[in-house]
Amino acid sequence: MKMIIHDLKPEQEERLFSAKEDLLTVSAKETIKTCIGCFGCWLKTPGRCVLKDQYQEMGRDLSLCGELIIISRCVYGSFSPMVKSVMDRCIPYLHPCFTIRGGEMHHRRRYDNRLKISAFFYGEDLTEKERETAEHIVRANCVNLDGDMGRIAFLKKGEALEGEWI
Amino acid sequence: MKIGFINGSPKKEGSASGCLLAELKEILKQPVSEYCIRSRRDTLPDELAEQDVLVMAMPLYVDGVPSHMLSCLTELETLLKGRKITVYAIINCGFFEAAQNRWAIAILQNWCQRTGLKWGQAIGVGGGGMMPMLKDIPPGKGPKKNLSRALETLAKNILNEQSGETLLVSPNFPRFLYRKAAEMGWRRQIKENGLKAKDLSARPSGSC
Repeated sequence: MKMIIHDLKPEQEERLFSAKEDLLTVSAKETIKTCIGCFGCWLKTPGRCVLKDQYQEMGRDLSLCGELIIISRCVYGSFSPMVKSVMDRCIPYLHPCFTIRGGEMHHRRRYDNRLKISAFFYGEDLTEKERETAEHIVRANCVNLDGDMGRIAFLKKGEALEGEWI
Repeated sequence: MKIGFINGSPKKEGSASGCLLAELKEILKQPVSEYCIRSRRDTLPDELAEQDVLVMAMPLYVDGVPSHMLSCLTELETLLKGRKITVYAIINCGFFEAAQNRWAIAILQNWCQRTGLKWGQAIGVGGGGMMPMLKDIPPGKGPKKNLSRALETLAKNILNEQSGETLLVSPNFPRFLYRKAAEMGWRRQIKENGLKAKDLSARPSGSC
């Protein structure tokens, strides 16, 4: 299964994903609660976020996927605030204990599945530095989640996304 | 000179960001206006626009700026556009290596450029998890040696509204001990919550 985390409008979501199978779409909505750094997802309800909303099971849901595709407006070289809220809620997917990966400290994996991670950023007037930052962030996420790098692309508008890329 | 601190930790107390700002304040010996942004619903006071210097402290979340602080930055872009403000940042991560903060620092630099503000300097701090435990250790001593030196440099640049190279500071403490202590801490805390150490590895399953 593929997971798509996105901040597209409902009609774009419908156009791109409705005909696809084996797809878990996670729409980054304004209603999402932001991570409060409580570590409850590691120490109180391990593997599950303690904040009660539709993003509580991001850890388990990621464990059921082989691919993660992030579609986001690029904001200062980051994901948009809403998509980042979803990414921040993904840490139950990881184990609190550490491992050394590429000479750096990272979290151990909680699950055995390996994610191929791709990102499609959109934005009209992105600077070179913002694109560079965004690329580094996705690569860093890939190391942290112990996944494999997929594709990174920059588009002017979310509408320019084509269904066959997903 | 008007100096404003923004503490971007969602924690009410005992945050590493709070500890780092407190140490910086000690060195600055200047009046500072302090603001906390804990969630995206927190309102930003207009007086932020009247500061000469803004120092933002926050934790690293998933290799970047925490989402509530990203929301805050988008609002600040409108509020501060074109103002004559120099921006400094302190970002800390729970990992040992300070360099893991570098992309979050880049995000803040990009924000600064879009908002038309002057970029001052950033400190990336590794081993943030131990920061609250070190608050009684005098500056410049033991694990804080490099950190205190970096904060001194930052303070000097703030007072002169000068820019400086990013400083990346990992603890003066062996990494394997930091890791061991952190993992002992996880095991102790999960037991305090009525669970067993093996529950740290729980794998919630089921269909979504």
